[in-house]
Amino acid sequence: MGHRLPQIELLTPRAKLAAGREQTLDVLIRITPPEPQATADAARRRPALNLSLVLDRSGSMGGAKIQHAREAARYCIDQLLPADRISVVIFDEAVEVLITSQPAANKAALKESLAHIHARGSTALHEAWVRGGIQVSEHLSDAGINRVLLITDGQANVGLTNADEIVTQSLNLHRRGVSTSTIGIGTDFNEDLLLPMAESGGGNAWHVETADDMGRIFSVELEGLIAQVGHTVTLSLVPADGARIVDLLNDFELNETGRYKLPNLQAGQTLEVVAQVRVPAREAGARLRLLDLKLGYTPQEAKSAEVVRQFLEVEFAPEEETEALPLNNAVVKAVQMLMNARARREAVAYMDAGDFDSYREVVSASIASSRSSFAPMQADADVLAELSSLEALSDTANDRREDQLNRKRLSYRSHDLSRSKR
Amino acid sequence: MSGQLEKIRGLKYIGVVELASQAARILAEIGTTQDRGTVSEMPDERTLRYYLAEGLLSPATEKQGTASVFGYLHLLQLLVVKKLQSEHLPIRKIKELVDGRTERELERLLGLDAKAGAKNEALSYLEKLLTSPSASSPRSQQFNSPAADMMRPVAPAHAARQSAPQQQGQATWARVEIEPGLELHVRGDYAPPTETKGVRRLTRLLLNALEGYRGNMRK
Repeated sequence: MGHRLPQIELLTPRAKLAAGREQTLDVLIRITPPEPQATADAARRRPALNLSLVLDRSGSMGGAKIQHAREAARYCIDQLLPADRISVVIFDEAVEVLITSQPAANKAALKESLAHIHARGSTALHEAWVRGGIQVSEHLSDAGINRVLLITDGQANVGLTNADEIVTQSLNLHRRGVSTSTIGIGTDFNEDLLLPMAESGGGNAWHVETADDMGRIFSVELEGLIAQVGHTVTLSLVPADGARIVDLLNDFELNETGRYKLPNLQAGQTLEVVAQVRVPAREAGARLRLLDLKLGYTPQEAKSAEVVRQFLEVEFAPEEETEALPLNNAVVKAVQMLMNARARREAVAYMDAGDFDSYREVVSASIASSRSSFAPMQADADVLAELSSLEALSDTANDRREDQLNRKRLSYRSHDLSRSKR
Repeated sequence: MSGQLEKIRGLKYIGVVELASQAARILAEIGTTQDRGTVSEMPDERTLRYYLAEGLLSPATEKQGTASVFGYLHLLQLLVVKKLQSEHLPIRKIKELVDGRTERELERLLGLDAKAGAKNEALSYLEKLLTSPSASSPRSQQFNSPAADMMRPVAPAHAARQSAPQQQGQATWARVEIEPGLELHVRGDYAPPTETKGVRRLTRLLLNALEGYRGNMRK
């Protein structure tokens, strides 16, 4: 089956580089996955979903939270096609497979079973995740998307509770074909478990501050699953002789073959990667093939890998001339967003160390540099959202009661920004 | 493919060249090579020497004159390495997956044992987690699971530590599986580092210890 390839654009802050001196250049690598064919039966031709909802019903989920979780699960069932599979696992200190994996055909009966979920007890998160995984694995589909969706507001406190171990297991399961997404609700869950668990599990990490946000997150997660066009995505960057990669602002993990591991490709989700490249001095008028790039990925319904190549050629001009060239806002914006992602990780580190002065300083510095970088793009929705996110942080940075929630906001926002989810 | 391999199970290959050409033949037959891949499709002699040096292929157990003699195990290792490379796995990870595997396990990695080989991989992994001591019986485990011990020292060990800090004899130890083939022995009162620096230090110590151990084994 033929499929279209992702588009790769390479952009620099200005159209030409200053001649006569060595410099560090921000290169924006913009990867746009192909849109699915807009045909009438596109929805029916999407990969089949094989899902397990793993739902926390421990005591802390009482009241509105469990109600919203139930509604979200109902919503999820409503969105599925008869060819999809669904199972539901509920847990407190005990784990129960409420709905064994089955085709999402009899929706009324499935939703009826959800009515019996009530909050009680403590949190056997790990075993519940394993059982959800088993429900998915028993019907593993090569062409479809096999995923466990873990929903919790608490810390794992029964069974296996070591975050590193659970994260490793999530990676191991992902390698065996089942991915994991996590939804953390409120302020009490462990983001240092749920974020890396989804990250290494090949899924998405969501933070829901209030339970009524759950429905929205569910729809985004489901749309994402349906829109996934490629997985096992890697990027290799080969600079010209005399040039070198100084940094990758997204901080993607680098594997031993010198390739960066990128998130899954999702239609409608352009991924922006910024590499800082040290460029050797050249004379005015010279051209240089600065960067060769290879994007490797496995298309959703194929088994073998694809590789897309692209390269960047730059031209040098006298400095007076390049200074007069307009700045490319897209590059400036991408760089600032990624710097802000890093600043947030730094802020979390200071917060953890109890160094609240430095924490506040990092946030203030981010606001200052964002205001300056974003000045020409004040109407941009991403920019407005980012500024208001930073300002909200700054407003609450003196209040120690806000730390727990702010730590989650910082961690998740940083993670999202690195993956171009703004 | 399963049938094809059945026939060659007992064959021997004298030297890396023979091994490479057999692997190339099989790769060509099963057609798992990539159209536009970055991984060279057919393993050549140089690549094989590199794999041997990196430990991706086990050293030959027999010699014929000066030539190494390879067998079915080596062939499977080579096929698995090529398969995993086509899935973009880094060499280090491939090594982890291939190292110490039996012929049967390698066949499973190649998806040869059953039609639903991939399904069994995920399922058997999870079922093993469920039955392993750290994940079974959540109620009883609150007080005796290795993982729970790591996070929250069991009461007797904790008390012993408070009353007699030097007294190590009463400490409880637990085994924690890190991945297939690797277990850690953890004392009840041990708390793993949480900050990045400590985690890095621990990782380094662990890798050094493992390297040293493997080095000794080779001697």
